[in-house]
Amino acid sequence: MSDIANPGAVAQRPDRRGIKTLPALLLVAAGLVLLVQAAWIPAKAALAQVLLERAFALTLAEGTGMRPWPWADTVPVARIAFPGLGESYVVLAGSSGQALAFGPGHVEGTPEAGEPGTAVYAAHRDTQFRSLGRLAAGDPIEVVRRDGRSVRFRVTGRRVARWDASGLDPDAPGRHLVLVTCWPLHAITPGPERLLVEAVAEP
Amino acid sequence: MLSLPLSPFPPSSHSRSPLARPAPGLTRNLLLGPLIALLLALVAGIAPARAQETRAQETRAQDGSGTLLLRFEGGAPVEAPRLKADAAITVSGPTARATITQVFRNTTAEWVEGTYLFPLPEDAAVDTMKLVVGDRVIVAEIREREAARRVYEAAKAEGKAAALTEQQRPNLFTNAVANIGPGETVLVQLEYQQPVRPTAGIYALRLPTVAAPRYSPGPSAVTSVVEGPSAADPVPDRQKIAAPVLDPARHAPVNPLTLTIDLKAGFPLGQMRSATHAIRVEELSGSERRITLADGATAADRDFELTWTAAPGETPSVGLFRERVAGGEAVLAVVTPPEAASPAAPVPRDVVFVIDNSGSMGGASMRQAKASLLIGLDRLRSGDRFNVIRFDHSFDTLFPDLVPADETHLDRAKRFVAGLEASGGTEMLAPLRAALRDATPEETGRLRQIVFLTDGAIGNEAQIFSAIAAERGRSRLFMVGIGSAPNGYLMSHAAELGQGSFTQIGTPDQVTERMRALLVKLESPAVTDLTATFSEPSVDATPTRLPDLYRGEPLILPARMRAVRGTLTLTGRIGGTPWQAVLSLNTAEAGTGIGKLWARAKIAEAETARLTGRLSPDASDAAILRLALDHGLTTRLTSLVAVDATPRRPEGARLVSTDLPLNLPAGWDFASVFGEGEAQPLPAPPRQRRAATPATQFAAAQPVALPQTATDFEIRAWLGGVLLALGLCLSLRRRRVAA
Repeated sequence: MSDIANPGAVAQRPDRRGIKTLPALLLVAAGLVLLVQAAWIPAKAALAQVLLERAFALTLAEGTGMRPWPWADTVPVARIAFPGLGESYVVLAGSSGQALAFGPGHVEGTPEAGEPGTAVYAAHRDTQFRSLGRLAAGDPIEVVRRDGRSVRFRVTGRRVARWDASGLDPDAPGRHLVLVTCWPLHAITPGPERLLVEAVAEP
Repeated sequence: MLSLPLSPFPPSSHSRSPLARPAPGLTRNLLLGPLIALLLALVAGIAPARAQETRAQETRAQDGSGTLLLRFEGGAPVEAPRLKADAAITVSGPTARATITQVFRNTTAEWVEGTYLFPLPEDAAVDTMKLVVGDRVIVAEIREREAARRVYEAAKAEGKAAALTEQQRPNLFTNAVANIGPGETVLVQLEYQQPVRPTAGIYALRLPTVAAPRYSPGPSAVTSVVEGPSAADPVPDRQKIAAPVLDPARHAPVNPLTLTIDLKAGFPLGQMRSATHAIRVEELSGSERRITLADGATAADRDFELTWTAAPGETPSVGLFRERVAGGEAVLAVVTPPEAASPAAPVPRDVVFVIDNSGSMGGASMRQAKASLLIGLDRLRSGDRFNVIRFDHSFDTLFPDLVPADETHLDRAKRFVAGLEASGGTEMLAPLRAALRDATPEETGRLRQIVFLTDGAIGNEAQIFSAIAAERGRSRLFMVGIGSAPNGYLMSHAAELGQGSFTQIGTPDQVTERMRALLVKLESPAVTDLTATFSEPSVDATPTRLPDLYRGEPLILPARMRAVRGTLTLTGRIGGTPWQAVLSLNTAEAGTGIGKLWARAKIAEAETARLTGRLSPDASDAAILRLALDHGLTTRLTSLVAVDATPRRPEGARLVSTDLPLNLPAGWDFASVFGEGEAQPLPAPPRQRRAATPATQFAAAQPVALPQTATDFEIRAWLGGVLLALGLCLSLRRRRVAA
């Protein structure tokens, strides 16, 4: 940019090509950085899941929460699987932007899956929970908790709600699991709507 | 927030939490970690910040119409505490003792003060409040209202847990709880005593659960002009009887309520039902039942009503109960006079029907009110005269004066009623006065009656009562309470002052049955000229002047005397013939809470005397204050306050004050009450309707706020692609030009 800001100095040079090339180079560079960043988000989500799998396996073996990497500010709390789709993800504690960057998050203030009440897991619509669109009523969901217990849920329905009017009560009677992601699934900009897939524990 | 590699955890968090210790094997497997983190540092700074921003914006957008989040001045909005309530009621014969436990749960990271506005039965004697913080139980003291408020405010400022129960109306209370810690749960437990009245052999217990939003008129334009800005406000405490109300179309119901009733009727029971809720009844013995809600918990959005009858032939006509109190004994007589052997010849009547079509009546209430009024019109006989008045913030009188109940006039009235729609405010005073205006006070051969259909969702009760007391003349006022949460205090007190009766119509299927019962009452009072005489000296009985009774209504007479003995003689006229009954007080059975009921009835009588001018305001206030302090009752002048001994809120930590949101009463129409202005249209309905699962139907408290779950990698990818293409284009063109 400084080169352009000083046209007098450049005007003397015969190398006019360089001046024209620089913006083009900048554009290319910026474009590449953005593309790398964009590619990094899903790559990170996929890579993190590999690390999280190990940490969760250790958690199961040792019975205490294990950080997936030393500076992580969250711990894996469960593994959720959609047997119908052949997918499984490790769920992290909390639903901060950071936890969600790596995997589904267990929303604060809701009980553990399989306990009385309504547990809520949230994940990005463009990474792990894109597959929520393919879950239908009657589909099974399996959750392995960090205490090793496995709970099987069955999808009861789907609905769309605003983020602040979910109607979800963490203390509701029964054992429920609700999976949440942004809606519409293929929108590009963030919005207030969320897709809720509701499931109930099988006895 | 994400910890970047350069910002390690403080050592303390390592040593405290076993979770923080990385496994030795794990770190070896995580050589990739620093690499990821370095790259993350590039990206992460932007993505989460965006997510946070969006959330904050949505929160702001919510502020206009939503009430879940309450803004703290200069700070982020803070969510009000969540509330759960449990009611445990024991009915023993003529009285009920209720324990209401309100659980305040603070789900925020702030110290909060929560204020909850809630209704109780209008004749409840509230005598006990306990504050439970952790394992400490603090029993509240009764104080004069201002003193209690000062004690509470002082404790609040010192950072102590404190609770204050104030009466805003005899059927409307607030509980304020200060210094609920982050994530903490605090319990407030209230207890009250209440009489159970039989009407025409049917016993009813009512528990209001939600304070309906009320219309509080401002000072009239004339008064404002004459007296300037200092004109008396008819509702000086309008702020205290208002709470945020959730739009049921946008929020799940809040404030779940559980309920248990132990019924010891004292006689073999016949039928039992609830018209308002599904109940489960457990039969403990012939005269005892335990009642719970069939669905476990219900949203606090409508009154609960339980009715029961005695087994056929077992209906008691006289009940006498006694209780030992300080300095003597209290006795309660419940007497249902026999019905007239031969009904009196019908007296011609002049009936003014007044129907409320204000916004609060929108939805189910309006349909019930119209149906009730049409039944009333159908029961008019030839020789009767009538008129119809409708009101919201304005009012219309159908005919200029009373008209004969002939076919032409009735047809016109029915068309008028059928065309009514609910909207607007509730200016009740002017139409009431119009109905009370008696053009022919000398026509004593005719009965002048006003049938007033409303939900009573107003805040200026005192104005209404004064008008009735001053202008009732020979008119009798019959209040018909419509809807799921009517204002029972307005209804019962207006009927008492207007020497009529109060009928409650809560559900559409009660319209026909209860209107019929009311119309029978309208024919004429069953028992007139009632007096009660005790053989013992110095008996303090209330009320001092007994009302006329309509068919099926009992006389409820609490009294206080040195010792319960001797006789009580009741005399009166039933259908024109003299009637007398002598009751031996020695037969009184032991009862509970009779003394409190007597004090509560005395207080109500003093309030009435103030309105009707029989007592000066000062004299009635003095009498009320003495009774309230002696018996530990919450009244207009006294409050219950409980303060924990030790301060708990750290110095410097702020305290956020919030009003707990309420449900809209069932059957109400949000837009009719609050207008369309603030309600934004909902986004296109769900592509798939939710299956109605019980879990969500009775969803409690405010719903879980869901996190932002979209990344912007697609935007970045698109933007990156476009920039790349642009750059490549530019450099290609350059090269071609150069070549």
